Amino acid sequence: MMETNFTYLYDGTWENLIELIFWLIKEKRKPLEIIEEEKYEPTLFNMPIKPIRNGNTKDMEKRMPRESLRIAYYVFLSNKKNKELIIYYFLLNSLKYQHQIIYMRNLKCVNEALNIQKRVSREAHKWKGFLRFKETKNHFLYAEFNADNNILGILAKHFQKRLPKEYWLIKDQTRDILCIYDQKNLHFLESKDLTINLKIEKEEIETEELWKTFFQTIAIKERLNRKCQQNFMPKKYWQNILEMEDTYEKSDYR
Amino acid sequence: MTLKEKLEILADSAKYDASCSSSGSSRENKNGIGNGSISGICHSFSSDGRCISLLKILMTNCCIYNCKYCINRKSNQVKRAIFTPEEIASITMNFYKRNYIEGLFLSSGILKSPDYTMEKMIETIYLLRNKYHFNGYIHAKVIPGASEYLIQKLGLLVDRLSANIELPTENGLTLLAPDKNSSKVAEIMEYVKKKKSKVFTPAGQSTQMIIGATNETDLDILEKSSSLYDSYKLKRVFYSAYISVNKDKNLPTIKIPPLKRENRLYQADWLLRYYNFKVKDLLEKENPNFNILLDPKADWALRHLDEFPKEINKASYYELVKIPGIGPTSAKKIVSSRKFFTIQFSDLKKMGISLKRAKYFILCDGKYFANSSCFRKSFITNNLILEEKPKEIEKRTQLSLFYDGN
Repeated sequence: MMETNFTYLYDGTWENLIELIFWLIKEKRKPLEIIEEEKYEPTLFNMPIKPIRNGNTKDMEKRMPRESLRIAYYVFLSNKKNKELIIYYFLLNSLKYQHQIIYMRNLKCVNEALNIQKRVSREAHKWKGFLRFKETKNHFLYAEFNADNNILGILAKHFQKRLPKEYWLIKDQTRDILCIYDQKNLHFLESKDLTINLKIEKEEIETEELWKTFFQTIAIKERLNRKCQQNFMPKKYWQNILEMEDTYEKSDYR
Repeated sequence: MTLKEKLEILADSAKYDASCSSSGSSRENKNGIGNGSISGICHSFSSDGRCISLLKILMTNCCIYNCKYCINRKSNQVKRAIFTPEEIASITMNFYKRNYIEGLFLSSGILKSPDYTMEKMIETIYLLRNKYHFNGYIHAKVIPGASEYLIQKLGLLVDRLSANIELPTENGLTLLAPDKNSSKVAEIMEYVKKKKSKVFTPAGQSTQMIIGATNETDLDILEKSSSLYDSYKLKRVFYSAYISVNKDKNLPTIKIPPLKRENRLYQADWLLRYYNFKVKDLLEKENPNFNILLDPKADWALRHLDEFPKEINKASYYELVKIPGIGPTSAKKIVSSRKFFTIQFSDLKKMGISLKRAKYFILCDGKYFANSSCFRKSFITNNLILEEKPKEIEKRTQLSLFYDGN
């Protein structure tokens, strides 16, 4: 019997989602929905199927273009509702069209997947620039940010390459998760598992003042264009950008 | 003088340099701090809407020259300051570590002699690269007149070098910067071009011209840019709307910098580099300045309306990029997608290609976006101009009046 129109659950990880989707493709099953186990709310008419484990993903992975998996991973990091189903259809079509898949914009799932991927990587790129670290007395760097999509991992890898000899911590305030780097490895934790007590010293405030001075001085008064500034650096970022904090405090945006 | 006061003076006098780009270098982290990002990263945006990517400062604003347009000219009574190499290195490191910046853009007024100034700059950057093991982006200005061996030394330490041409013609330069001469700048560019490699200025070289200080036309400026791109393989020519900081009988007295003109020149510059346009396509002797109401590509298309509308499913890549509203990215998407299906208007939207301007100039599968009687020069021109917000038009009209009087 061809089993269609079931709801399938997964444990919320990328690995398990891929395991499930590859299994579904192999078994030729079309899911009605794919939902994270924790977020699933039972209904009378719907009998969900528990997470699939120990599915063999190797041979399917070989047939899948690497670029498709990369795009699918970015979609997975997004905050899009129903992203799992988009990933399912995108990967299903990737098997058929292989490397040509990215040109098949007339397919809804491809178009959606590519648009979401672009949104996620744009947000990550913005934060690669906007993230601001504070240094504590014992040379520990600490930064917080708010993002629509789950980009902590992308940022952590970026700063691992850039600041390999520092100790740092980046916290995603929206998801209450964080990443600690100990000059060697990245450790991903939930915020509640860690009490952070950071002391900012006078030297740090001085460096911050120096930066704010530079920020204000470098603008050319005759060219003032706050609208353009805000286009490139929208208000939603301000509360985490050191030099914009004062403007944020004063604005009615809060 | 405190460090903060010095920074205030030396950032203030560096701010007129337009370049803040940090792209083009994929320098890797070698056992230290920092790396290059090939596409560049903007870390902030100042209240004038310009990207802040690099710590843009002068080493000193003391100068032995007296260029008429320059705030730092010898005869000006302004506060002067000098950073020590150690000060610059430590500010750069402190800012970089906190992710305020992508690197350093170091320029300088001329102390004693060009060679002496360059040696000090090299000392600073050497310190950053070798004592602090800094692998982030560094852009340095070459001081015209400095010895070749110093340019070589500097080029091996930085990601990008630049020498400013300042004014598009020799006449302008003689008038406003009598101490500079354009052949020296040309020599630097020639040398950097010859030497460029993975270890010598991996992100290439750029230059800058001031717009509106002398009476050159847009055609003069663009011809200069085009010849610079051809002769020296420059990565960028930056245009900087003239801002009146000094009074001089040879300088125009203008209140508002010619920002719209600067914008048009950037658009045209882009068309030369990525869209296969030639200067003669865009401007001619009888009509040597850009239309302030229409961007250069739309203006060109309206003058060549007999070549349109173009069928999206058939036009070549080079024809596609000449359609207003379609750039290299969109053109590539179209060329690769149409192998698999016939593109309709709705598909273009899905691809994320904006139809706002393009729709007037294209056919999709033989169809025009509206009744075909709309394909008229007057109709399209009016719509393209009306798309601009009323406020913008007002501002532009002001600017265009201002050009006429210039």
